[in-house]
Amino acid sequence: MASAKHLSVLRRALPAGRLLSTAAASAAPLPVEDAAEDVISMKGVRISGRPLYLDMQATTPVDPRVLDAMLPFYLSRFGNPHSRTHLYGWESDAAVEAARSQVAALVGANPKEIFFTSGATESNNISVKGVMHFYRDKKRHVVTTQTEHKCVLDSCRHLQQEGFEVTYLPVGPDGLVDLDRLAAAIRPGTGLVSVMAVNNEIGVVQPLEEIGRICKEKGVPFHTDAAQALGKIPIDVEKMGIGLMSLSGHKIYGPKGVGALYLRRRPRIRVEPQMSGGGQERGIRSGTVPTPLVVGMGAACEIATKEMDYDGRRIAALQERLLNGIRSRLDGVVINGSVEHRYPGNLNLSFAYVEGESLLMGLKEVAVSSGSACTSASLEPSYVLRALGVDEDMAHTSIRFGIGRFTTEAEIDRAIELTVKQVEKLREMSPLYEMVKEGIDLKSIQWAQH
Amino acid sequence: MRPSMTGLEISRRRQESIEFQSPFPSRSCFRSRSLMASAASAPSRAEVLSLFRSLLRTATKFTDYNVREYVRRRTIDGFRENWGLSDPSSIASAFADGRNQLEVAKRQVVVYSLYAPKIKNVMEIRSG
Repeated sequence: MASAKHLSVLRRALPAGRLLSTAAASAAPLPVEDAAEDVISMKGVRISGRPLYLDMQATTPVDPRVLDAMLPFYLSRFGNPHSRTHLYGWESDAAVEAARSQVAALVGANPKEIFFTSGATESNNISVKGVMHFYRDKKRHVVTTQTEHKCVLDSCRHLQQEGFEVTYLPVGPDGLVDLDRLAAAIRPGTGLVSVMAVNNEIGVVQPLEEIGRICKEKGVPFHTDAAQALGKIPIDVEKMGIGLMSLSGHKIYGPKGVGALYLRRRPRIRVEPQMSGGGQERGIRSGTVPTPLVVGMGAACEIATKEMDYDGRRIAALQERLLNGIRSRLDGVVINGSVEHRYPGNLNLSFAYVEGESLLMGLKEVAVSSGSACTSASLEPSYVLRALGVDEDMAHTSIRFGIGRFTTEAEIDRAIELTVKQVEKLREMSPLYEMVKEGIDLKSIQWAQH
Repeated sequence: MRPSMTGLEISRRRQESIEFQSPFPSRSCFRSRSLMASAASAPSRAEVLSLFRSLLRTATKFTDYNVREYVRRRTIDGFRENWGLSDPSSIASAFADGRNQLEVAKRQVVVYSLYAPKIKNVMEIRSG
Protein backbone atom coordinates (compact mmCIF):
# COMPACT_ATOMS: atom_id res chain seq x y z
CA MET A 1 0.00 0.00 0.00
CA ALA A 2 1.40 3.42 -0.94
CA SER A 3 2.64 5.29 2.06
CA ALA A 4 1.55 8.82 2.76
CA LYS A 5 4.94 10.14 1.62
CA HIS A 6 4.59 8.50 -1.80
CA LEU A 7 1.11 9.83 -2.15
CA SER A 8 2.18 13.41 -1.49
CA VAL A 9 4.92 13.04 -4.11
CA LEU A 10 2.31 11.75 -6.54
CA ARG A 11 0.00 14.61 -5.80
CA ARG A 12 2.72 17.21 -6.35
CA ALA A 13 3.68 15.58 -9.63
CA LEU A 14 0.15 16.00 -10.96
CA PRO A 15 -0.76 19.58 -10.08
CA ALA A 16 -4.51 19.65 -9.67
CA GLY A 17 -4.79 16.92 -12.33
CA ARG A 18 -5.39 19.37 -15.15
CA LEU A 19 -2.55 18.40 -17.48
CA LEU A 20 -4.48 16.03 -19.71
CA SER A 21 -6.97 17.47 -22.15
CA THR A 22 -9.34 14.71 -21.18
CA ALA A 23 -9.48 16.26 -17.74
CA ALA A 24 -10.85 19.47 -19.27
CA ALA A 25 -14.42 18.44 -18.67
CA SER A 26 -13.83 17.98 -14.99
CA ALA A 27 -11.94 21.29 -14.78
CA ALA A 28 -14.68 23.37 -16.38
CA PRO A 29 -17.14 24.61 -13.73
CA LEU A 30 -14.83 24.44 -10.73
CA PRO A 31 -15.07 27.18 -8.14
CA VAL A 32 -12.25 29.66 -7.94
CA GLU A 33 -10.20 28.14 -5.15
CA ASP A 34 -7.91 30.72 -3.67
CA ALA A 35 -5.50 28.39 -1.97
CA ALA A 36 -3.77 31.22 -0.14
CA GLU A 37 -6.93 32.29 1.65
CA ASP A 38 -8.76 28.98 1.56
CA VAL A 39 -11.91 30.64 0.30
CA ILE A 40 -14.25 29.47 -2.44
CA SER A 41 -15.84 32.19 -4.51
CA MET A 42 -18.59 31.12 -6.84
CA LYS A 43 -21.77 32.80 -8.09
CA GLY A 44 -21.04 35.81 -5.97
CA VAL A 45 -20.82 33.82 -2.77
CA ARG A 46 -17.70 33.45 -0.67
CA ILE A 47 -17.46 30.51 1.72
CA SER A 48 -14.54 29.27 3.71
CA GLY A 49 -14.87 25.60 2.89
CA ARG A 50 -16.91 23.00 1.13
CA PRO A 51 -20.44 23.08 2.58
CA LEU A 52 -21.72 20.30 4.76
CA TYR A 53 -24.06 18.22 2.68
CA LEU A 54 -27.68 17.92 3.78
CA ASP A 55 -29.40 17.47 0.45
CA MET A 56 -29.65 13.69 0.22
CA GLN A 57 -32.90 13.79 -1.76
CA ALA A 58 -31.20 15.58 -4.62
CA THR A 59 -28.42 13.04 -4.76
CA THR A 60 -26.21 11.02 -2.45
CA PRO A 61 -22.43 10.61 -2.34
CA VAL A 62 -21.14 7.38 -3.84
CA ASP A 63 -20.34 4.88 -1.10
CA PRO A 64 -16.64 3.91 -1.16
CA ARG A 65 -17.64 0.24 -1.31
CA VAL A 66 -19.69 0.95 -4.42
CA LEU A 67 -16.80 2.80 -6.04
CA ASP A 68 -14.54 -0.12 -5.21
CA ALA A 69 -16.90 -2.49 -6.99
CA MET A 70 -17.17 -0.25 -10.06
CA LEU A 71 -13.54 0.65 -10.70
CA PRO A 72 -12.33 -2.68 -12.16
CA PHE A 73 -14.95 -2.25 -14.89
CA TYR A 74 -13.44 1.05 -15.90
CA LEU A 75 -9.92 -0.32 -15.86
CA SER A 76 -9.32 -3.83 -17.11
CA ARG A 77 -12.78 -5.40 -17.32
CA PHE A 78 -14.13 -2.94 -19.82
CA GLY A 79 -15.97 -5.35 -22.10
CA ASN A 80 -19.42 -4.92 -23.57
CA PRO A 81 -21.79 -7.32 -21.83
CA HIS A 82 -23.47 -8.15 -25.12
CA SER A 83 -20.26 -9.43 -26.73
CA ARG A 84 -20.79 -13.15 -26.89
CA THR A 85 -17.47 -14.31 -28.22
CA HIS A 86 -14.74 -13.45 -25.74
CA LEU A 87 -13.82 -13.21 -22.08
CA TYR A 88 -14.39 -9.47 -21.89
CA GLY A 89 -18.01 -9.91 -22.86
CA TRP A 90 -18.55 -12.94 -20.67
CA GLU A 91 -17.17 -11.43 -17.50
CA SER A 92 -19.05 -8.20 -18.15
CA ASP A 93 -22.29 -10.10 -18.67
CA ALA A 94 -21.71 -12.13 -15.51
CA ALA A 95 -21.24 -8.89 -13.58
CA VAL A 96 -24.46 -7.41 -15.00
CA GLU A 97 -26.42 -10.52 -14.07
CA ALA A 98 -24.95 -10.53 -10.58
CA ALA A 99 -25.96 -6.89 -10.19
CA ARG A 100 -29.44 -7.73 -11.43
CA SER A 101 -29.89 -10.30 -8.67
CA GLN A 102 -28.62 -7.84 -6.09
CA VAL A 103 -31.22 -5.28 -7.14
CA ALA A 104 -33.94 -7.94 -7.28
CA ALA A 105 -33.07 -9.19 -3.79
CA LEU A 106 -33.60 -5.75 -2.30
CA VAL A 107 -37.19 -5.54 -3.54
CA GLY A 108 -38.19 -9.19 -3.32
CA ALA A 109 -38.38 -9.70 -7.06
CA ASN A 110 -37.11 -12.24 -9.53
CA PRO A 111 -33.98 -11.08 -11.38
CA LYS A 112 -35.80 -11.63 -14.68
CA GLU A 113 -38.16 -8.84 -13.67
CA ILE A 114 -35.45 -6.17 -13.37
CA PHE A 115 -34.43 -4.09 -16.39
CA PHE A 116 -31.64 -1.54 -16.26
CA THR A 117 -32.31 1.95 -17.58
CA SER A 118 -30.58 5.30 -17.43
CA GLY A 119 -32.42 6.38 -14.32
CA ALA A 120 -35.75 6.64 -12.60
CA THR A 121 -36.92 9.28 -15.09
CA GLU A 122 -36.50 6.86 -17.97
CA SER A 123 -38.14 4.08 -15.95
CA ASN A 124 -41.08 6.37 -15.21
CA ASN A 125 -41.41 7.21 -18.89
CA ILE A 126 -41.37 3.55 -19.86
CA SER A 127 -43.90 2.74 -17.18
CA VAL A 128 -46.41 5.47 -17.88
CA LYS A 129 -46.14 5.92 -21.63
CA GLY A 130 -45.09 2.36 -22.38
CA VAL A 131 -47.99 0.70 -20.56
CA MET A 132 -50.61 3.05 -21.92
CA HIS A 133 -49.34 2.83 -25.47
CA PHE A 134 -49.33 -0.94 -25.32
CA TYR A 135 -52.93 -1.11 -24.13
CA ARG A 136 -54.06 1.94 -26.09
CA ASP A 137 -56.99 0.19 -27.73
CA LYS A 138 -58.66 -0.90 -24.53
CA LYS A 139 -57.42 1.39 -21.75
CA ARG A 140 -57.53 5.17 -22.06
CA HIS A 141 -57.37 6.39 -18.45
CA VAL A 142 -54.58 6.93 -15.95
CA VAL A 143 -54.90 7.72 -12.25
CA THR A 144 -52.08 9.54 -10.51
CA THR A 145 -51.58 12.13 -7.76
CA GLN A 146 -50.77 15.81 -7.78
CA THR A 147 -47.56 15.33 -5.85
CA GLU A 148 -45.83 12.97 -8.27
CA HIS A 149 -42.39 13.66 -9.61
CA LYS A 150 -42.18 15.96 -12.62
CA CYS A 151 -41.32 13.12 -15.02
CA VAL A 152 -44.52 11.23 -14.17
CA LEU A 153 -46.65 14.36 -14.44
CA ASP A 154 -45.00 15.32 -17.70
CA SER A 155 -45.52 11.84 -19.14
CA CYS A 156 -49.17 12.06 -18.16
CA ARG A 157 -49.45 15.44 -19.84
CA HIS A 158 -47.90 13.93 -22.93
CA LEU A 159 -50.53 11.19 -22.83
CA GLN A 160 -53.26 13.79 -22.44
CA GLN A 161 -52.06 15.46 -25.60
CA GLU A 162 -52.38 12.13 -27.35
CA GLY A 163 -55.97 11.83 -26.24
CA PHE A 164 -55.77 9.78 -23.04
CA GLU A 165 -57.56 10.87 -19.89
CA VAL A 166 -55.68 11.47 -16.68
CA THR A 167 -57.06 11.94 -13.18
CA TYR A 168 -54.75 13.85 -10.84
CA LEU A 169 -55.86 12.93 -7.33
CA PRO A 170 -55.50 15.63 -4.71
CA VAL A 171 -53.69 14.87 -1.47
CA GLY A 172 -54.60 15.84 2.05
CA PRO A 173 -52.71 18.47 4.03
CA ASP A 174 -50.54 15.67 5.33
CA GLY A 175 -49.55 14.68 1.81
CA LEU A 176 -51.26 11.29 1.87
CA VAL A 177 -53.58 10.20 -0.91
CA ASP A 178 -57.17 9.44 0.06
CA LEU A 179 -57.76 5.74 -0.54
CA ASP A 180 -61.50 6.08 -1.04
CA ARG A 181 -61.05 8.73 -3.70
CA LEU A 182 -58.45 6.56 -5.35
CA ALA A 183 -60.81 3.57 -5.45
CA ALA A 184 -63.60 5.78 -6.76
CA ALA A 185 -61.41 7.21 -9.49
CA ILE A 186 -60.55 3.83 -10.98
CA ARG A 187 -62.81 2.97 -13.90
CA PRO A 188 -63.10 -0.03 -16.20
CA GLY A 189 -61.00 1.86 -18.73
CA THR A 190 -58.15 2.62 -16.30
CA GLY A 191 -54.87 1.28 -17.56
CA LEU A 192 -52.48 2.41 -14.81
CA VAL A 193 -52.39 3.78 -11.29
CA SER A 194 -49.21 5.65 -10.45
CA VAL A 195 -48.46 6.74 -6.88
CA MET A 196 -44.94 7.43 -5.69
CA ALA A 197 -43.68 5.57 -2.65
CA VAL A 198 -41.74 8.32 -0.87
CA ASN A 199 -42.10 11.91 -1.99
CA ASN A 200 -38.81 13.58 -2.78
CA GLU A 201 -39.85 17.02 -1.51
CA ILE A 202 -41.74 16.31 1.68
CA GLY A 203 -40.69 12.76 2.48
CA VAL A 204 -44.21 11.45 2.94
CA VAL A 205 -44.60 7.67 2.61
CA GLN A 206 -47.78 6.61 0.83
CA PRO A 207 -49.72 3.53 2.02
CA LEU A 208 -48.39 1.22 -0.70
CA GLU A 209 -49.90 -1.99 0.61
CA GLU A 210 -53.41 -0.59 0.68
CA ILE A 211 -53.06 0.99 -2.75
CA GLY A 212 -51.68 -2.27 -4.11
CA ARG A 213 -54.61 -4.15 -2.65
CA ILE A 214 -57.13 -1.77 -4.23
CA CYS A 215 -55.44 -2.02 -7.60
CA LYS A 216 -55.30 -5.79 -7.41
CA GLU A 217 -59.01 -5.98 -6.63
CA LYS A 218 -59.80 -3.81 -9.60
CA GLY A 219 -57.28 -5.52 -11.87
CA VAL A 220 -55.30 -2.38 -12.65
CA PRO A 221 -51.48 -2.35 -12.79
CA PHE A 222 -49.94 -0.39 -9.92
CA HIS A 223 -46.87 1.65 -10.74
CA THR A 224 -44.82 3.30 -8.05
CA ASP A 225 -41.85 5.63 -8.33
CA ALA A 226 -39.62 4.17 -5.63
CA ALA A 227 -36.54 6.25 -6.39
CA GLN A 228 -36.48 7.80 -2.91
CA ALA A 229 -37.82 4.71 -1.17
CA LEU A 230 -35.37 2.07 -2.38
CA GLY A 231 -33.09 0.87 0.36
CA LYS A 232 -34.72 3.15 2.91
CA ILE A 233 -38.10 1.59 3.59
CA PRO A 234 -38.59 -2.14 3.12
CA ILE A 235 -40.16 -2.84 -0.25
CA ASP A 236 -41.73 -6.17 -1.14
CA VAL A 237 -43.34 -6.26 -4.55
CA GLU A 238 -45.47 -9.25 -3.63
CA LYS A 239 -46.84 -7.84 -0.39
CA MET A 240 -47.45 -4.45 -1.92
CA GLY A 241 -48.98 -5.74 -5.14
CA ILE A 242 -46.65 -3.61 -7.24
CA GLY A 243 -46.78 -4.12 -10.99
CA LEU A 244 -44.15 -1.64 -12.11
CA MET A 245 -41.52 0.18 -10.12
CA SER A 246 -38.94 2.81 -10.99
CA LEU A 247 -35.63 2.68 -9.17
CA SER A 248 -32.76 5.11 -9.16
CA GLY A 249 -29.09 4.46 -8.54
CA HIS A 250 -27.87 7.79 -7.28
CA LYS A 251 -30.35 8.04 -4.41
CA ILE A 252 -28.93 4.98 -2.66
CA TYR A 253 -25.27 5.91 -2.67
CA GLY A 254 -24.72 4.53 -6.14
CA PRO A 255 -23.56 6.19 -9.35
CA LYS A 256 -25.54 8.67 -11.39
CA GLY A 257 -26.84 7.69 -14.79
CA VAL A 258 -28.31 4.33 -13.91
CA GLY A 259 -31.66 3.14 -12.71
CA ALA A 260 -33.87 0.13 -13.02
CA LEU A 261 -37.41 -0.79 -13.86
CA TYR A 262 -39.24 -3.60 -12.14
CA LEU A 263 -41.81 -5.20 -14.43
CA ARG A 264 -44.00 -7.92 -13.05
CA ARG A 265 -44.05 -11.28 -14.84
CA ARG A 266 -46.99 -12.95 -13.11
CA PRO A 267 -49.41 -11.58 -14.22
CA ARG A 268 -47.27 -10.26 -17.07
CA ILE A 269 -47.35 -6.54 -17.64
CA ARG A 270 -46.44 -5.54 -21.16
CA VAL A 271 -44.90 -2.24 -22.19
CA GLU A 272 -44.06 -0.65 -25.47
CA PRO A 273 -40.35 0.11 -25.47
CA GLN A 274 -39.35 3.78 -25.62
CA MET A 275 -35.86 3.06 -26.96
CA SER A 276 -35.63 1.21 -30.26
CA GLY A 277 -32.50 -0.67 -31.08
CA GLY A 278 -30.78 -4.02 -30.77
CA GLY A 279 -33.28 -5.55 -28.37
CA GLN A 280 -31.09 -5.51 -25.26
CA GLU A 281 -32.76 -6.02 -21.87
CA ARG A 282 -35.31 -8.36 -23.49
CA GLY A 283 -36.40 -5.65 -25.90
CA ILE A 284 -37.65 -3.44 -23.09
CA ARG A 285 -34.71 -1.06 -23.25
CA SER A 286 -32.27 -1.22 -26.12
CA GLY A 287 -28.78 0.11 -25.79
CA THR A 288 -25.55 -1.21 -24.35
CA VAL A 289 -25.96 -1.86 -20.66
CA PRO A 290 -23.35 0.29 -18.88
CA THR A 291 -21.56 -2.37 -16.90
CA PRO A 292 -19.70 -0.17 -14.39
CA LEU A 293 -22.83 1.80 -13.54
CA VAL A 294 -24.96 -1.31 -13.27
CA VAL A 295 -22.39 -3.04 -11.08
CA GLY A 296 -22.36 0.08 -8.93
CA MET A 297 -26.11 0.04 -8.59
CA GLY A 298 -26.04 -3.65 -7.68
CA ALA A 299 -23.38 -3.04 -5.08
CA ALA A 300 -25.35 -0.14 -3.67
CA CYS A 301 -28.45 -2.32 -3.41
CA GLU A 302 -26.56 -5.08 -1.67
CA ILE A 303 -25.13 -2.64 0.85
CA ALA A 304 -28.60 -1.19 1.36
CA THR A 305 -30.03 -4.65 2.04
CA LYS A 306 -27.56 -5.09 4.85
CA GLU A 307 -27.47 -1.57 6.21
CA MET A 308 -31.15 -0.64 6.05
CA ASP A 309 -31.84 -1.24 9.72
CA TYR A 310 -28.69 0.38 11.00
CA ASP A 311 -29.06 3.40 8.74
CA GLY A 312 -32.78 3.67 9.47
CA ARG A 313 -32.27 3.84 13.23
CA ARG A 314 -29.43 6.28 12.98
CA ILE A 315 -31.19 8.59 10.57
CA ALA A 316 -34.34 8.61 12.68
CA ALA A 317 -32.25 9.65 15.70
CA LEU A 318 -30.54 12.38 13.69
CA GLN A 319 -33.86 13.71 12.46
CA GLU A 320 -35.11 13.94 16.06
CA ARG A 321 -31.96 15.77 17.00
CA LEU A 322 -32.38 18.23 14.15
CA LEU A 323 -36.04 18.85 14.82
CA ASN A 324 -35.63 19.26 18.56
CA GLY A 325 -32.60 21.44 18.11
CA ILE A 326 -34.45 23.84 15.84
CA ARG A 327 -37.77 23.78 17.64
CA SER A 328 -36.24 24.37 21.05
CA ARG A 329 -34.78 27.66 19.85
CA LEU A 330 -37.30 28.88 17.31
CA ASP A 331 -41.04 29.19 17.18
CA GLY A 332 -43.13 29.34 14.06
CA VAL A 333 -41.54 26.22 12.58
CA VAL A 334 -43.93 24.04 10.59
CA ILE A 335 -43.23 20.57 9.24
CA ASN A 336 -44.65 20.13 5.76
CA GLY A 337 -46.27 16.77 5.30
CA SER A 338 -47.34 14.01 7.64
CA VAL A 339 -45.13 13.47 10.67
CA GLU A 340 -46.06 9.83 11.24
CA HIS A 341 -45.98 8.58 7.64
CA ARG A 342 -42.62 10.04 6.79
CA TYR A 343 -39.23 8.80 5.80
CA PRO A 344 -37.00 10.19 8.58
CA GLY A 345 -34.22 11.29 6.28
CA ASN A 346 -36.36 13.97 4.68
CA LEU A 347 -37.35 16.95 6.79
CA ASN A 348 -39.15 19.78 5.06
CA LEU A 349 -39.59 22.79 7.34
CA SER A 350 -41.21 26.16 6.83
CA PHE A 351 -40.14 29.11 8.96
CA ALA A 352 -42.81 31.73 9.46
CA TYR A 353 -42.10 35.42 8.89
CA VAL A 354 -38.89 34.69 7.05
CA GLU A 355 -38.26 35.20 3.37
CA GLY A 356 -37.07 32.02 1.66
CA GLU A 357 -34.45 33.33 -0.73
CA SER A 358 -32.69 35.37 1.93
CA LEU A 359 -32.75 32.41 4.28
CA LEU A 360 -31.04 30.27 1.68
CA MET A 361 -28.52 32.99 0.86
CA GLY A 362 -27.45 33.01 4.47
CA LEU A 363 -27.14 29.23 4.67
CA LYS A 364 -24.32 28.83 2.21
CA GLU A 365 -22.24 26.66 4.50
CA VAL A 366 -25.01 24.07 4.57
CA ALA A 367 -26.00 22.45 1.30
CA VAL A 368 -29.77 22.28 1.50
CA SER A 369 -32.55 22.72 -0.94
CA SER A 370 -35.65 24.84 -0.81
CA GLY A 371 -39.16 23.75 -1.59
CA SER A 372 -39.10 25.19 -5.05
CA ALA A 373 -35.59 24.47 -6.26
CA CYS A 374 -35.95 21.04 -7.73
CA THR A 375 -39.05 21.79 -9.71
CA SER A 376 -38.25 24.87 -11.69
CA ALA A 377 -35.74 27.61 -12.12
CA SER A 378 -38.40 30.21 -11.48
CA LEU A 379 -39.38 31.51 -8.09
CA GLU A 380 -42.71 29.78 -8.27
CA PRO A 381 -43.36 27.84 -5.08
CA SER A 382 -43.28 24.12 -5.43
CA TYR A 383 -46.39 22.43 -6.79
CA VAL A 384 -46.08 19.78 -4.10
CA LEU A 385 -46.40 22.31 -1.32
CA ARG A 386 -49.24 23.96 -3.15
CA ALA A 387 -51.01 20.60 -3.39
CA LEU A 388 -50.66 20.27 0.38
CA GLY A 389 -52.47 23.55 0.76
CA VAL A 390 -49.50 25.38 2.26
CA ASP A 391 -49.83 29.17 2.16
CA GLU A 392 -47.66 30.87 -0.44
CA ASP A 393 -45.56 32.73 2.08
CA MET A 394 -44.85 29.54 4.03
CA ALA A 395 -44.15 27.63 0.83
CA HIS A 396 -41.50 30.20 -0.05
CA THR A 397 -39.66 29.72 3.22
CA SER A 398 -39.53 25.95 3.11
CA ILE A 399 -36.19 24.26 3.52
CA ARG A 400 -35.62 20.58 2.89
CA PHE A 401 -33.01 18.90 5.08
CA GLY A 402 -31.83 15.57 3.73
CA ILE A 403 -30.10 13.27 6.22
CA GLY A 404 -28.21 10.22 5.01
CA ARG A 405 -25.86 7.40 5.85
CA PHE A 406 -22.82 9.63 6.07
CA THR A 407 -24.34 12.47 8.08
CA THR A 408 -22.73 13.03 11.46
CA GLU A 409 -24.11 14.45 14.69
CA ALA A 410 -21.65 17.30 14.43
CA GLU A 411 -23.07 18.24 11.03
CA ILE A 412 -26.59 18.25 12.41
CA ASP A 413 -25.53 20.47 15.29
CA ARG A 414 -23.77 22.87 12.95
CA ALA A 415 -26.79 22.97 10.67
CA ILE A 416 -29.06 23.75 13.63
CA GLU A 417 -26.70 26.52 14.70
CA LEU A 418 -26.52 28.11 11.28
CA THR A 419 -30.24 27.82 10.57
CA VAL A 420 -31.30 29.24 13.92
CA LYS A 421 -28.84 32.11 13.66
CA GLN A 422 -29.97 33.02 10.18
CA VAL A 423 -33.68 32.80 10.97
CA GLU A 424 -33.25 34.92 14.10
CA LYS A 425 -31.25 37.47 12.15
CA LEU A 426 -33.92 37.72 9.48
CA ARG A 427 -36.72 37.92 11.98
CA GLU A 428 -34.95 40.73 13.85
CA MET A 429 -35.01 42.73 10.66
CA SER A 430 -38.58 41.87 9.79
CA PRO A 431 -41.27 44.46 10.53
CA LEU A 432 -43.92 41.79 10.07
CA TYR A 433 -42.41 39.79 12.89
CA GLU A 434 -42.42 42.85 15.11
CA MET A 435 -46.12 43.23 14.50
CA VAL A 436 -46.71 39.57 15.28
CA LYS A 437 -44.82 39.90 18.54
CA GLU A 438 -47.05 42.80 19.48
CA GLY A 439 -49.97 40.48 19.02
CA ILE A 440 -51.37 41.79 15.73
CA ASP A 441 -52.95 39.15 13.53
CA LEU A 442 -51.38 39.58 10.12
CA LYS A 443 -54.38 38.24 8.27
CA SER A 444 -56.63 40.92 9.72
CA ILE A 445 -54.57 43.82 8.42
CA GLN A 446 -56.12 46.04 5.80
CA TRP A 447 -53.22 46.99 3.63
CA ALA A 448 -53.63 50.48 2.18
CA GLN A 449 -54.03 50.50 -1.57
CA HIS A 450 -52.48 53.44 -3.34
CA MET B 1 0.99 -12.72 22.56
CA ARG B 2 0.65 -14.14 19.06
CA PRO B 3 1.90 -11.78 16.40
CA SER B 4 -1.02 -10.57 14.34
CA MET B 5 1.09 -10.47 11.17
CA THR B 6 0.50 -14.17 10.49
CA GLY B 7 -3.24 -13.80 10.29
CA LEU B 8 -3.00 -10.83 7.95
CA GLU B 9 -0.47 -12.53 5.69
CA ILE B 10 -2.76 -15.50 5.25
CA SER B 11 -5.66 -13.21 4.48
CA ARG B 12 -3.60 -11.28 1.92
CA ARG B 13 -2.75 -14.46 0.02
CA ARG B 14 -6.36 -15.49 0.08
CA GLN B 15 -7.47 -12.13 -1.33
CA GLU B 16 -5.77 -12.87 -4.64
CA SER B 17 -8.21 -15.64 -5.43
CA ILE B 18 -11.27 -13.49 -4.98
CA GLU B 19 -12.96 -12.66 -8.26
CA PHE B 20 -15.56 -9.91 -8.37
CA GLN B 21 -15.20 -7.37 -5.63
CA SER B 22 -18.80 -7.34 -4.59
CA PRO B 23 -19.31 -5.49 -1.32
CA PHE B 24 -19.58 -7.50 1.77
CA PRO B 25 -21.88 -7.49 4.74
CA SER B 26 -21.36 -5.21 7.68
CA ARG B 27 -18.17 -5.48 9.61
CA SER B 28 -18.29 -7.82 12.52
CA CYS B 29 -16.31 -8.93 15.47
CA PHE B 30 -16.55 -11.84 17.76
CA ARG B 31 -14.88 -13.58 20.63
CA SER B 32 -13.91 -17.19 19.98
CA ARG B 33 -11.33 -19.65 21.11
CA SER B 34 -12.64 -22.45 18.91
CA LEU B 35 -10.16 -24.00 16.50
CA MET B 36 -12.76 -25.34 14.08
CA ALA B 37 -11.39 -25.13 10.55
CA SER B 38 -13.59 -23.53 7.92
CA ALA B 39 -12.62 -21.88 4.65
CA ALA B 40 -11.03 -19.11 6.69
CA SER B 41 -9.29 -20.35 9.80
CA ALA B 42 -10.98 -19.50 13.07
CA PRO B 43 -9.59 -16.19 14.28
CA SER B 44 -8.02 -15.68 17.66
CA ARG B 45 -8.83 -12.81 19.94
CA ALA B 46 -5.63 -11.11 18.95
CA GLU B 47 -6.47 -11.34 15.27
CA VAL B 48 -9.88 -9.87 15.90
CA LEU B 49 -8.48 -6.96 17.84
CA SER B 50 -5.83 -6.45 15.20
CA LEU B 51 -8.52 -6.26 12.53
CA PHE B 52 -10.46 -3.77 14.62
CA ARG B 53 -7.40 -1.57 15.11
CA SER B 54 -6.46 -1.80 11.43
CA LEU B 55 -9.91 -0.69 10.39
CA LEU B 56 -9.84 2.27 12.74
CA ARG B 57 -6.34 3.21 11.62
CA THR B 58 -7.41 3.01 7.99
CA ALA B 59 -10.43 5.15 8.77
CA THR B 60 -8.25 8.03 9.94
CA LYS B 61 -6.43 8.07 6.62
CA PHE B 62 -9.47 9.02 4.53
CA THR B 63 -9.27 12.57 3.26
CA ASP B 64 -13.05 12.92 3.09
CA TYR B 65 -14.65 14.01 6.38
CA ASN B 66 -17.92 12.09 5.95
CA VAL B 67 -16.33 8.84 4.81
CA ARG B 68 -13.75 8.99 7.57
CA GLU B 69 -16.36 9.44 10.26
CA TYR B 70 -18.55 6.76 8.73
CA VAL B 71 -15.85 4.11 8.56
CA ARG B 72 -14.86 4.80 12.15
CA ARG B 73 -18.42 4.76 13.43
CA ARG B 74 -19.48 1.72 11.43
CA THR B 75 -16.46 -0.26 12.58
CA ILE B 76 -17.12 0.45 16.23
CA ASP B 77 -20.85 -0.21 15.95
CA GLY B 78 -20.33 -3.31 13.82
CA PHE B 79 -17.85 -4.89 16.20
CA ARG B 80 -20.00 -4.02 19.17
CA GLU B 81 -23.06 -5.55 17.50
CA ASN B 82 -21.35 -8.87 16.84
CA TRP B 83 -19.45 -9.05 20.09
CA GLY B 84 -21.67 -11.85 21.36
CA LEU B 85 -21.40 -14.21 18.37
CA SER B 86 -20.63 -17.75 19.46
CA ASP B 87 -21.23 -20.01 16.46
CA PRO B 88 -17.77 -20.76 14.98
CA SER B 89 -18.73 -20.75 11.31
CA SER B 90 -20.53 -17.44 11.55
CA ILE B 91 -17.60 -16.04 13.45
CA ALA B 92 -15.18 -17.18 10.77
CA SER B 93 -17.31 -15.78 7.97
CA ALA B 94 -17.76 -12.52 9.84
CA PHE B 95 -14.00 -12.29 10.27
CA ALA B 96 -13.46 -12.94 6.57
CA ASP B 97 -15.98 -10.24 5.75
CA GLY B 98 -14.20 -7.85 8.06
CA ARG B 99 -10.90 -8.54 6.38
CA ASN B 100 -12.40 -7.97 2.94
CA GLN B 101 -13.83 -4.70 4.16
CA LEU B 102 -10.38 -3.74 5.36
CA GLU B 103 -8.95 -4.38 1.91
CA VAL B 104 -11.71 -2.28 0.32
CA ALA B 105 -11.04 0.52 2.79
CA LYS B 106 -7.30 0.47 2.13
CA ARG B 107 -7.82 0.75 -1.61
CA GLN B 108 -10.35 3.52 -1.25
CA VAL B 109 -8.09 5.53 1.02
CA VAL B 110 -5.66 5.72 -1.89
CA VAL B 111 -8.34 6.61 -4.43
CA TYR B 112 -9.89 9.32 -2.27
CA SER B 113 -6.54 10.90 -1.51
CA LEU B 114 -5.66 11.07 -5.20
CA TYR B 115 -8.68 13.25 -5.87
CA ALA B 116 -8.96 15.13 -2.60
CA PRO B 117 -10.26 18.68 -3.13
CA LYS B 118 -7.89 21.46 -2.10
CA ILE B 119 -10.45 23.22 0.03
CA LYS B 120 -11.43 21.40 3.19
CA ASN B 121 -14.93 20.64 4.34
CA VAL B 122 -16.50 23.31 6.52
CA MET B 123 -16.66 20.81 9.36
CA GLU B 124 -12.89 20.47 9.37
CA ILE B 125 -12.06 24.16 9.30
CA ARG B 126 -13.25 25.82 12.43
CA SER B 127 -14.49 24.34 15.65
CA GLY B 128 -18.02 24.63 16.98
